[in-house]
Amino acid sequence: MRSKQTIEVFARRMAVSQNTNDEIDIFFSAKSVAIYGASATPNSVGQAIVQNFIKPQFTGRVYAVNPKYSQVLGIPCYPSLQDIPDEIDMVVVAVPARITPRVFEDIAAKGVKAAIVISGGFSETGPRGAELEDQIVKIARENGIRVIGPNCVGVIDTTTHIDTFFLPEYRCSRPRASNVANISLVSQSGAFAAAIADWTAELGIGMSKIISLGNKCDVDDDDLLRYLAADDSTQVICFYTEGYDPGKGRSFFDTAKEVTPHKPVIVVKSGRGKRAKEAASSHTGSLAGSDQVAGAAYKQAGVIRADNFEHMFDMARALAMQPPARGDRVLMVTNGGGLGVMTTDALEAEGLAIPHPSPELTERLQERLPSYCAIGNPIDVVGDSDSSRYDIVFEEALKSGEYDIVVVGMLLQTPTLGMDITNVIANHQRQSGVPFVAVAMGGAFTSKAGEIMELMGVPTYATGEKAAVAAKALATYGEIKYRDKFRRTLFPDNP
Amino acid sequence: MKIAKKIFETARSENRSFVLENEAKEIMRAYGIPVPPFDTATTADEAVEKSKEIGFPVVLKILSKDILHKSDAGGVKVNLRTEDEVREAFQTIMENARKYGEEHGIDVDLSRGVFVSKFADEGTEVIIGVTRDPQFGHAIMFGLGGIFVEVLKDVTFRLIPLTESDAREMIREIKAAKILDGIRGQPPRDTDALVKVILAVSKMVEENPEIRELDCNPTFVYEKGNGALVVDARILIDV
Repeated sequence: MRSKQTIEVFARRMAVSQNTNDEIDIFFSAKSVAIYGASATPNSVGQAIVQNFIKPQFTGRVYAVNPKYSQVLGIPCYPSLQDIPDEIDMVVVAVPARITPRVFEDIAAKGVKAAIVISGGFSETGPRGAELEDQIVKIARENGIRVIGPNCVGVIDTTTHIDTFFLPEYRCSRPRASNVANISLVSQSGAFAAAIADWTAELGIGMSKIISLGNKCDVDDDDLLRYLAADDSTQVICFYTEGYDPGKGRSFFDTAKEVTPHKPVIVVKSGRGKRAKEAASSHTGSLAGSDQVAGAAYKQAGVIRADNFEHMFDMARALAMQPPARGDRVLMVTNGGGLGVMTTDALEAEGLAIPHPSPELTERLQERLPSYCAIGNPIDVVGDSDSSRYDIVFEEALKSGEYDIVVVGMLLQTPTLGMDITNVIANHQRQSGVPFVAVAMGGAFTSKAGEIMELMGVPTYATGEKAAVAAKALATYGEIKYRDKFRRTLFPDNP
Repeated sequence: MKIAKKIFETARSENRSFVLENEAKEIMRAYGIPVPPFDTATTADEAVEKSKEIGFPVVLKILSKDILHKSDAGGVKVNLRTEDEVREAFQTIMENARKYGEEHGIDVDLSRGVFVSKFADEGTEVIIGVTRDPQFGHAIMFGLGGIFVEVLKDVTFRLIPLTESDAREMIREIKAAKILDGIRGQPPRDTDALVKVILAVSKMVEENPEIRELDCNPTFVYEKGNGALVVDARILIDV
């Protein structure tokens, strides 16, 4: 009886979330888009957005709405949505805040179900702006319109090429989807969303979607967490948030608990110093900073909290490309002693175990490697090594079952180590299911090699510290996913 | 539990945002949270009689809807070992409460008398508390008492409700966790009993969301196998 009831409740919740996901999906899959406030003025927001949609990559239809023009950059322009002789899936609103209620009447009359409001001048500016925001939310609710924003830059989808960022591409590059694995980012801040788009494009990090939420008047973190959890083109979900509306932190927590066993979620949250606003009359109340409670909630829900964006993407790349670790024992293999020591120091500081190979494993390695290789942890295969010595170490170490993560140090400045190391890593990774992280320090040649390795699915880092952050993330997510089955050998005093 | 709802109703009808100590302890007892034996008394004679029933030494605390911070009002007397000490303590507490009222310009209600409780054997002091965060709702806190909480703010949080493994993690993850393992030859503390208290508090708050803040401070934890006791309890509610 009880289980039947539970199943019904579950089914109902899944149905609700499926509906929500279908509503959210329009923002990324719209086939016909209208840009309200499209402009013929060069360097204006209203023109920059139109420019994104007339690029050949976007294969949908686009319309401009502005009573001032009959066409903008060669696309037809109409005085209102209702004048457009086509169905519209999504509207991008870039008009002054004060006329947005009228625009929403038009959106409702046209029967459009998705709107992104780029414009600022709403609740972020004070009570008058908040009133305008309430007005558009009311119209949206009554007519079943989902709204992203206001006060945001909207969305980028690297597959459908829906792109409402009003930052011209020559100033703000757009990331691309990778064939291996992709990350999606949800950001409360539009400026950060743009900077990350530009930055991930430069670094060649595979991205699926970037969403800037702005004031979160309707669509919020929780909606996107649900959507991205079910999105096959997103392997890791990243959030930048400054805080939640009352009660919304709790709903995010509830959803995250369901998502994190299946897909990694990483959060950067600012506002660490702020204290809870509610006056406290108890000891506990006075000790509870809101950020501390947020940190506890993330931990409890299996959300990984990163200190900054650099860490976030170091973690996300590894989690996107590699399986989670089943334990905390790391093996470091390197062709340079200094790189090995520095990296193991960083791994130790992250609270990972770096056990020495067992006597049996040591013996096997000694048999097969030149006598001048140093066998310990790190294992130093020495500067004249080619990929075959790495191959031997991976084979023996993985067969022994003594390690859960392999960190591969490579100084590609040496003449002997070739790019075939990438295949060696990929083969052992696939056969063993053990995650690999690579660290290659150096200049132009090394960076290029790193890019190629990433195309083959091997996350590659420029320093040992960054590789250690990545390795730690693989262990942390392993603990989240496998819970009691995660083999933890190290119990630090202060985890 | 009905008892909690009834107590909160009474508090609200008196326009109190907090419950009295005996009420807090009754609610805790109903949720299986261990508290020292207690009773109430409205006269010195009754206080003596109840003290004898409970067994010396005892603690006396003022019970009044007008006094939240009992120590500040001189309303707490501890480690009372004889009938005479109890009688004297009762008089002093009443006198102090009257004075506190005069100083603060309030007519302090003394009709409820005092809370009489067994003076608990000293254990390792910990704090378990609850706060309501505007974004995340109810969260439970755990930390070691004394300087660890006052100076070092060595505390940890989880949202309510929490699982047993969450509770165990909390106890492990404070910086001074080693103290509970037993240092300098001391035997380990009864962390299983602490887990039970944390989970019971979580359940209590889950079933009574009108609880705004809560402190079990101090809670004493004893040697492994000897349990834990919530010595002082404060519950604040929505009015």
